[in-house]
Amino acid sequence: MKNKKFIWAVMLPSMLHMCIFIIAPIIIGLVISFFHYNPLSSDNYFVGLDNFTALLEDDEFLIALKNTFVFVFVTVFLNIVTALLIAQCISWFKSNKVRSLFRMIFFLPCIASQAATAVVFSRSIFPTTTGFLNVILNAVGLPSVNWLGDPKVVMISLIIYSIWMDVGYNIILFSAGIDGIPTYVYEAADLDGANEWVKFRKITWPLLGRSFQFVIVQTLISHFQMFTQFAVLILKDGPKNSGLVLSRYIYKTAFEYKDMGYASAISLVLFVIIMILSLIEQKRSQVDWEY
Amino acid sequence: MRILKDKKNRKLRIFSFIVLSVLAVVFLAPYFWMLSNSFKSTKEILLHPTNMLPIEFTLSGYEKVLTESPFFTWLGNSLFITVIDTVVVLFTSSIVGFVLSKYRFRLKKILFYVILITMMMPTAAMMIPNFLLISGLGWYDNIISLIIPMFVSAFGIFLCKQFIDDLPSELFECAMLDNASDFIIYWKIVLPGIRPALGSLTIFTFLTVWNDYQTPLIYLNSTKNMTLPLAMSFFSTQHLNDLSATMAAASLIMIPASIVFIIFQKQFIKGIAMTGMK
Repeated sequence: MKNKKFIWAVMLPSMLHMCIFIIAPIIIGLVISFFHYNPLSSDNYFVGLDNFTALLEDDEFLIALKNTFVFVFVTVFLNIVTALLIAQCISWFKSNKVRSLFRMIFFLPCIASQAATAVVFSRSIFPTTTGFLNVILNAVGLPSVNWLGDPKVVMISLIIYSIWMDVGYNIILFSAGIDGIPTYVYEAADLDGANEWVKFRKITWPLLGRSFQFVIVQTLISHFQMFTQFAVLILKDGPKNSGLVLSRYIYKTAFEYKDMGYASAISLVLFVIIMILSLIEQKRSQVDWEY
Repeated sequence: MRILKDKKNRKLRIFSFIVLSVLAVVFLAPYFWMLSNSFKSTKEILLHPTNMLPIEFTLSGYEKVLTESPFFTWLGNSLFITVIDTVVVLFTSSIVGFVLSKYRFRLKKILFYVILITMMMPTAAMMIPNFLLISGLGWYDNIISLIIPMFVSAFGIFLCKQFIDDLPSELFECAMLDNASDFIIYWKIVLPGIRPALGSLTIFTFLTVWNDYQTPLIYLNSTKNMTLPLAMSFFSTQHLNDLSATMAAASLIMIPASIVFIIFQKQFIKGIAMTGMK
């Protein structure tokens, strides 16, 4: 079909919208990262690559970078393992009611507002005396843990929360992947007397391969960008910046220190990390997959 | 052989049932503790932290949220923004997806690639330019800043285009023989044809906008303009010593959404599995 009027009546406004709200900001962000830029001051000047070279000597940035990588890789690894384990357990049930009941329970935290669940964890789950976790630990005779006050533990608390709040997505995706594997493949394995582990290693794992890679990359991308729990769950990035990550550092530099040029340089680092991951995923999705 | 296998499967199912049940209890525990604390007085929470259920059941926390804060204004803001954004995104995604899928014109390929690339743009890295743009437009601290920029969704366009690609071309040929206008074809053939995609797009957009914390944090300032997630963290810092009211506020935000989810869980879970997005 080629009604020109209709095509451009639809495409023009939507492309204009994208130019203003997506493409223009990308360019603005790029340009500003080469400036000393404070929105409240009139004295903003070009500094070349200074913002980027300053990054290398900024201890806070290096801490944030390290924390981000530790957080992302540990959380995503545990998230994927848990999701796979739970999805596999769910798939062993024949009854659809049991399956959807469990899926629903694990997915429940995913639909909740992160700001609200982060408040619940910070005020009711992690506090030292009234928090649910320590109440349980004490009840079974274990000592209390200072979940949000001990610099060595803060990241662990953030990881626990992040898995609780996000693993449901991957359970659903893996469940769908496992359900999509034709049952005759498993029946054939049964005839050969394969046990559950062999079936998982030789059938589920390889056939889940494609969706598995997709899920890992998507989870990595979303975790690199996580912000809410770092802003709401912990106070002032935790003791000794133990919970400071890149997204929070960008926010702090831009909106609390008003140093937007420098914050844009940090953004660019995060941007590049995520773009690399996205391109890997794009490359991969061009490979065809079929059972 | 057959009996042996059933026995083994039964053992396996019992084992995984136990594992899943324990995990399910762990996953639901924060909800339980939030609700339980919301019905205790703050004094009771501090005095008897180990009590699972309230000794003296009280609604004072809820009363405080509903009377001492503009809760219904926040709820209204959230509903208003989310409903408009969702309806508009459904419209723009499906109609742009339709044009990209079924029409031939110059620049089509390039435009499609632009959309694919914008889909990958990380929001966390765009905080500053977005903020500058919004304040440049004079939309700072105005909820319009949460509405208009969300009108076109690259992901939505992509999703709809994929579904429209799969609609059989005979459908369109018949309509063209009848001399139906482009918009009528869109309305009468495309929209009903991609209902599953529109369903998951509704869920996806609704959840994204409804739960967004970061964007309102950057664009909004005054209390009366806040949306629920932002208001939640604001409320909890305003009432640092009032645990009961804070948990009541969290319950008021989380429980209705959870109930909606439980009612429509089949569609939700199908939609999420279909789009695979987060």
